[in-house]
Order: sequence, then C-alpha cells, then structure tokens
Amino acid sequence: MTVAQEQEKKKEQSLEELFQELEIIAANLEGEVNLEESFRLYQKGMALLKQCNDRIDKVEKQVLVLDEDGETHEF
Amino acid sequence: MQNVYTVGQVNRYVKSKFTEDYMLNRIYIKGEVSNCKYHTSGHIYFSLKDESGVIACVMFAGSRSGLSFRMRDGQKIIGLGSVSIYEKDGKYQFYVKEAVLEGAGLLYEKFEALKKELEEMGMFSAEYKRPIPRYVQRVGIVTAKTGAALRDMIHISHRRNPYVQLILYPAQVQGEGATQSIIRGIRLFQKQKVDVMIVGRGGGSIEDLWAFNEESVARAIFESEIPVISAVGHETDVLISDYVADLRAPTPSAAAELAVYEYSVFQSRLREYREYLQKELLYKLRLKREQCIQTGDKLRLLHPRQKLLQKQQFSDELMERMTRSLLHKIQTDRELLVRYQMRLKAYHPEKQVLEKRQTAERIREKLNRQMRYQIEKNRHKMSVFIEKMKGLSPLEKLNQGYAYVEDGNGQVLSSVSQTEKGHTVAIYVKDGKITAEVKEIHLGGMI
Repeated sequence: MTVAQEQEKKKEQSLEELFQELEIIAANLEGEVNLEESFRLYQKGMALLKQCNDRIDKVEKQVLVLDEDGETHEF
Repeated sequence: MQNVYTVGQVNRYVKSKFTEDYMLNRIYIKGEVSNCKYHTSGHIYFSLKDESGVIACVMFAGSRSGLSFRMRDGQKIIGLGSVSIYEKDGKYQFYVKEAVLEGAGLLYEKFEALKKELEEMGMFSAEYKRPIPRYVQRVGIVTAKTGAALRDMIHISHRRNPYVQLILYPAQVQGEGATQSIIRGIRLFQKQKVDVMIVGRGGGSIEDLWAFNEESVARAIFESEIPVISAVGHETDVLISDYVADLRAPTPSAAAELAVYEYSVFQSRLREYREYLQKELLYKLRLKREQCIQTGDKLRLLHPRQKLLQKQQFSDELMERMTRSLLHKIQTDRELLVRYQMRLKAYHPEKQVLEKRQTAERIREKLNRQMRYQIEKNRHKMSVFIEKMKGLSPLEKLNQGYAYVEDGNGQVLSSVSQTEKGHTVAIYVKDGKITAEVKEIHLGGMI
C-alpha cells in the first residue's frame, strides 16, 4: 500500500473508526512497549486526534435544500 | 299531595333507570366534537353533536388510555361508554371510556394487517437494522419545508453541533401525493453523501400521518443504503415507518438529538485522549529514565576500580577482624588468669586453718550448750522426783491421819498373822508413839 493509498484509506475512515484506532493506540501505549514504539504510538495518536478535529469543517453550516435533480441550494 | 319527592330522590331514581338499561351501559355514539376542554385534573369535557342535536360528554383522566389522539373541536369521533345522569345538575351525559376518530377503525385494521404482513416478511427484523453512526457530518432530512418539526430539528442540531450539515428534502408529508414525495426524498438521498437520514413530520391526525403507514414508504426506508431514523408525530404515534426504520425517534426533536452528536462532548473526548496519550508517554519516559539510572548504578558497581576498592575494603576488614580477635584472645586469657588466682586464694592453708578453728569453736559451743541443757533437764527431773518423794514419805501419810504399826521387835506389822493376842505393838502417829496391847484379832474385813 502506497502512502497515497494509505492516506486515501485514512480519508475513508469515519470518525468512529478513527476513535477505535485511537482506543487501540491508547491500549498499546499502556502495554509493554519500548520507548521508540511509545513515541511512534504517541505521534500516531496525536496525528489521529488532529485528523479527528480537522475532519470537522468548523464552519457553521446553513441548511441546504435538495432539489428534484439532486442538486443542493441554500435554504 | 301524598307523593312528594326530593330532587335528590328523583335524580337517583332516574339514574337507576339509566343504570338498569342494558343498551345505555355500553353504547357507541358518533358525532362531531365541540366545546372540547382538557381540564387540569386530566378529565376531558366536550360535546358530541350532529345536525339533530347535542350530548354532553366527559372522558375521565382514568380512561385516557382509551384515547390515542388529541381531541379537538370539529373532529368526527366514535365514542364508547355509558350514558347516565349527573345527579348534581340533573343532566344526563355520555361517559366516554374509549374514543377513535371516525374512519380510524378501518385505518387501524389496515395498519394492523400491513404491520403483520411486513413483520412476517422480516422487514422489522433486528438483523436488517443498520447502526446509526455516532459522529455524523451530513444529515439528510425528509420532511415538510414548513412546520415546527423542521424548525425543532434545525434548532436542536445547531445547538448540539453547528458544524453538522443538514440537507432538507422538502417533502409533501400529507394528502394526495405525500407517499410519492417521501419516497422520492429517500431515494434522492441515496446519491448524496449523508451519514444518516431523518424521515418524519410533526403531530397530526391519523389521516395526516397516514403516508408513513404506507407499504411503499416502508419499502423505500427498508431499501435505503443510508441508515434511517423515523420520527413521526408525537411519542404516542407509532407507525409502520417506525418499525421498519433503523431507529425510531419518538418525535422529530428526539430524532435530531439521536442523530447529531454534541460537539462539546466530542471535543472533551478528544481532549481526554490527548491527555491520556501524553500521560502514558510521560509515564513511559519516566520509567525508562529510572531504568537508565538503575543501569548506570549497576555499571558503576561493575567497574574494576570498584572491585579493587572492594578488595581493599575486604582486606581492611580482615585485618580489623584479626586484630580484634587477637585482642579478644588476650583479654580472655587475662580473665582466665584472674579466675585461677581467685580460686587458688580460696584454697590457701591459712584459710583452711581458720576454717577448722571456726569449726572447732562451733563444736565447742554446741557441746557447752548441750551440757547446759542436760544439767538443766536433770535438775528439773530431780525437783520433780523430790516432789514425788514428798508424796510418798510415810511421815506424810501420818500427817493425814494414818498410823504406822510395829511389833515388839520393831518390825512392820502389816498382817494379822504377824501378831497374837496379848502382844505389845507400837503405833506411830503424827506427833508421837503409842504403845498398845493386842486384845482381839479378826481375820478379814476392815470393819
């Protein structure tokens, strides 16, 4: 899997899946892992958190209206 | 003027007539609702009317389970209950226990039949329920463009999370064409990237809500790729769409609560993770640092100089121990010597002589004591004898009035056989001697 593919896959992950991954990372970090691995897990966890946060487009959304052609317009 | 009755008696009598009437005890009455009042006590007071007349009605709070819609003026209903007298007013009224909208009976049957059919087909089965995603970003809504339902949903969604995109399909939710409009909305959303869809409307009569009881709507919901939350009417309204949807919300507002996660909760969850990860990493770092320190200590202990130091220390210790034991030996020997000296002193002859002398002295004293004792003892014995002797002295006996008799030859006369008639005898008494002649002799007996 290339980096691009991996990123693509990340993009497809839902917030829920991201949280699941975070949960696994947290559990691993808690377990018996060496320091390098701990750093790696920590960095990955932080990246995931950022991703979670970034996933939300923090612009207040106006309600859109879906028309018969499947197009959306301002409400 | 014989038969005069009180008002109460008459009212009671009339009431008993009503009560006896089989038909009036359980009767269905249809009519249009008017003057409907929901009293704070929970009782509902209203009238039923038709072209020809009016009947007063009451539905007590205790019978409210028999009412599945909100009663309003103008509704055509069928009530089930009894007709009786309200004694206080002397008026008769209809005591309603159950009420349905006219025509609802038929609709209800239709509803039950469809529900049964779809249930048997497995369309309500839990295995077909898609999970509602917890963190949605786009929510599709199929409902009327105007009305409280949409307003409430927008309001709640924005309050919980203003960053969630709501997309409305303005559907016609009641009347002619409602079914097709709702289905169209559900289908159009399949091509939109929405995480969940809310299909519903606000409260209304059963006819108003009926589109959500249609099989074609149920099928559209069932076939939806996107999870569907059904949100129709009030909490008490349960429709086919509720059964077939992935999740049933009691009201549109509740649907918005269920679909849209709270942004603040999400943020605090992120924060918790961040803090947790940091805490764990810091803990790991501290742990490793401690391990480093410990390992360093261990290494230092293994350094050759350390070994040398240890050896030196060991040799110092040995030396110390040797010196100490030597001193100890000297000390014990010295003590032994002193002990021997003391013992020897104890056996010195001078001491023995002294001891023997002391022993001799002790024996001498003992002898003296014994001697004195013996003398004292014999002296005592002697005085006792003297006393005794005193008692035994013949002279003593004479003192007591006894006499001592001797024959002429100075021999003791103790028997009649020792003398004869005419002999002279000497009688000694206390204070002198009597010489007497034996005149008679009797043998035996003192007197």
